[in-house]
Amino acid sequence: MSSTAARLQVRSLNKTFGSVQVLTDVELTVLAGEIHGLAGQNGSGKSTLIKILTGLYTPDPGADYQVNGQPIRLPVRWQQVRAAGISVVHQDLGLLDQLTVAENICVGGFPTSRVTGRIDRHKRDQLAARTLDRLVVELEPTRLVGTLSAPERAEIAIARAMRDHAKGAGLIILDESTRALSGDDLTRVHTMLRRITADGSAAVIISHNLTELMDVTDRMTILRDGKLAGSGLATAELSEEEIARRMLGSNLAQTVARPPVPATPKAPTITVTGLAGKRVHDVEFSLAGGEILGITGLPGNGYEEIPYLLTGAQSARSGTISTSDTTVDLTRAGVIGCLRAGVVLVPERRDRDGLAFELSMRDNISLPGLRTRGRRWYVGHKWQREDADSAVDTLDIRPRTPSTLVKQLSGGNQQKVLLAKWLTMGPTVLVLHEPTQAVDVGARLDILHTLRRAAENGMAVILVSSETEDLAAACDRVLIYRASTGAIETAVRTPDGLINQIYAVEHQSAGSTS
Amino acid sequence: MTLSDQSNHTQTREYAVNGLDSPEPIPTIPPDQRADPAPATATPTARRTPTATLREQLGSLGSRYALIGVWLVMAGFYGVIMPDKFLSVSTAQAIFGSQSALLFLAVAALCTFVVGEFDLSFASVMGLSATIVPVLTALHHVPLAASCGIALLAALGCGGINAFFIVKLGVPSLVVTLGTASLFLGLAELISSSTIVSVSNPTFSNLALRNFLGLPLSFYYGLILCAGFAYVLTWMPIGRHIVFVGANREVARLAGISVDRIRAGSYVAASLVAGMAGLLLVATVGGFDPTASSSYLLPALAAVFLGTAIVSPGQFNPMGTFLGIYFLETGILGLQLLGYTGWVQDAFYGAGLVVAVTVASVVRSRTQRA
Repeated sequence: MSSTAARLQVRSLNKTFGSVQVLTDVELTVLAGEIHGLAGQNGSGKSTLIKILTGLYTPDPGADYQVNGQPIRLPVRWQQVRAAGISVVHQDLGLLDQLTVAENICVGGFPTSRVTGRIDRHKRDQLAARTLDRLVVELEPTRLVGTLSAPERAEIAIARAMRDHAKGAGLIILDESTRALSGDDLTRVHTMLRRITADGSAAVIISHNLTELMDVTDRMTILRDGKLAGSGLATAELSEEEIARRMLGSNLAQTVARPPVPATPKAPTITVTGLAGKRVHDVEFSLAGGEILGITGLPGNGYEEIPYLLTGAQSARSGTISTSDTTVDLTRAGVIGCLRAGVVLVPERRDRDGLAFELSMRDNISLPGLRTRGRRWYVGHKWQREDADSAVDTLDIRPRTPSTLVKQLSGGNQQKVLLAKWLTMGPTVLVLHEPTQAVDVGARLDILHTLRRAAENGMAVILVSSETEDLAAACDRVLIYRASTGAIETAVRTPDGLINQIYAVEHQSAGSTS
Repeated sequence: MTLSDQSNHTQTREYAVNGLDSPEPIPTIPPDQRADPAPATATPTARRTPTATLREQLGSLGSRYALIGVWLVMAGFYGVIMPDKFLSVSTAQAIFGSQSALLFLAVAALCTFVVGEFDLSFASVMGLSATIVPVLTALHHVPLAASCGIALLAALGCGGINAFFIVKLGVPSLVVTLGTASLFLGLAELISSSTIVSVSNPTFSNLALRNFLGLPLSFYYGLILCAGFAYVLTWMPIGRHIVFVGANREVARLAGISVDRIRAGSYVAASLVAGMAGLLLVATVGGFDPTASSSYLLPALAAVFLGTAIVSPGQFNPMGTFLGIYFLETGILGLQLLGYTGWVQDAFYGAGLVVAVTVASVVRSRTQRA
């Protein structure tokens, strides 16, 4: 195996969008006959990597990209990569229910009659049957895809990707393709993948499900913040915890000491009761003004919903949030009701939910204050200028010109603008979701520091994050959400300890902590 | 505009960012890595000078008003090759005195574009309103003022229909307004019974045509409309909300703006302004053939898109639209004076639209400052 060239090899891969570097010196080597796992959190650069491999994005100059030892010319043209033997199984499989198995398998490569150019149905069904045969899948090419079971559908999608590869050749990329499957169905698809790779083909599998990656892959590459956190590690020598540690990036050298426990515990003034959404349930907690409360959980277990439920951005199935002044019914309040109670959200996706990229920093920062600080017929510009200047100073935003458009800023500075936008309003409760995602170390410290100061000024801060280092560094208390028990406070205060808790307890089912 | 007032909001809260600057270091974060504690009292001008140099400001001024330069070059060109015909007061009057209905129509289109919506039916709404007035007045002897009121109510109704289907039911705006454009046109043809009637009322015509400082009053109505719209967008809270709904709907929603009310309001406002354009047409021309409505669609859109290349580059803005209308008319009038007629109008508007959108998108990608 080692004598042949790698099926796929990329080296020195960098990618910048504007001023933001999303991939830094990434490499990926996939050998013939192996299943290679690609792991990383949202925003770690996995999907950017795949989009570069398939030619959707152009990498920065200097990247080296080879398939079967043959260099691929940059910028990547998908036709060439595909001809070299790489194919992709789409995230949601990309099947059309109203078409037959054969039509779905052959799309993009229908055999046509040489004379008229129309699709030769007989040959098409033969091609589909041959492909299915080779993969040992027993399905009639004429069946409608809509009538198939979930694992059968996955098999059809894989068959489409394998259609043009000779036996024992080619590489398929499964980008979260198996996320709808579980249990026996998943095992069945894994068995099929092993069968394919046993002949010499290769597969790259991207999944959030660490158990799946442990089960099926031979080696793994792990990304964190666009950098390698593990390249081609043998899966047999890894544990789920080790993978998580690399994904979440608990690097002992960077660990900062936990804050001292407040000398006088304050009486809780903010209370959340009976909160339930689409996926979370039984979330109850209380905190005092001046306190930073962290909430975390196993990635994908639903705790990510909590910030949106708390602030009315998503309507809850049940639950209320009470401040010292008022109680808000989170099933009906909506954003406006929550804002009125002084509960504001700093969302995760600053590009989609957080900021208007085509407008200036000043415009974005003054948005929440337009109604309260402006008069109805004249919004006034003095306060907008002052707010923006003061935000630039306190958060050290670069460049220091508030008229700069948000799209021109780096990720860290954008995040600071987003934070300033809501801090300027002086909320009672500040809810943040992943406020340090994809920002550099300096910006991260500035942001955490700002949260600390906001709390010292009496604000109640709820930090929902998967970054255990942030939680350990900034929070007074941390809750871990699990599907089995709801949100429960943990006494552990180190990043490593938190990771262990997040994973360990989910596996044990019953909560024996605190 | 009645779509405003959500002032049932929190009381003005304490201004927190200023208060955050506590001198005490935080134990968790090494003090040397903190943001440097710049004095919050420094004046904005003092801070801006190092980065925003005079050259940069001139450069931004250049990209903002490049269109005016093009305009001057074009006028200069016409002036050189036909000094007698082009360089006269009557030419200027022809350019600035004749386009008010089209300007109102362009502003109607702008109403929906600024909130990120899309409307194709505004030209038909204008046609409907311009048909209702003469038909009611001349054929049914309704007082002129009353028929104008009815026309505007009809226009409001048209906007309400668009808003209902697009905002309330969530049907794609392209489909709805394409359909209602044809529907409103059909209604206009129905009530006009395919005969063109006109109304001649000197008082009414005078409201639009009376000469003031060399130009008809209708020019000033357009100027006031655009200036007022620009004021709303930049200086009123509701206008800033509109800009945010246009820039990023989800950001606006999460900031507590009633996005759907603003979207619905934009359709109603667009139709109302289109209705006013109809009244202006009747006042200046006397009558209107509704089947001609569609010929107003493209010029209005061309002016709106051309306007995104000027004043606030990359953004739909009323003063840009105002200038865009007269820019296009200058080009067309010059070509007409050169002897090209008929086809030249369509060709110029069409080419102008494509060039305008191209220029605007290039300018947009280079814009760094607001």
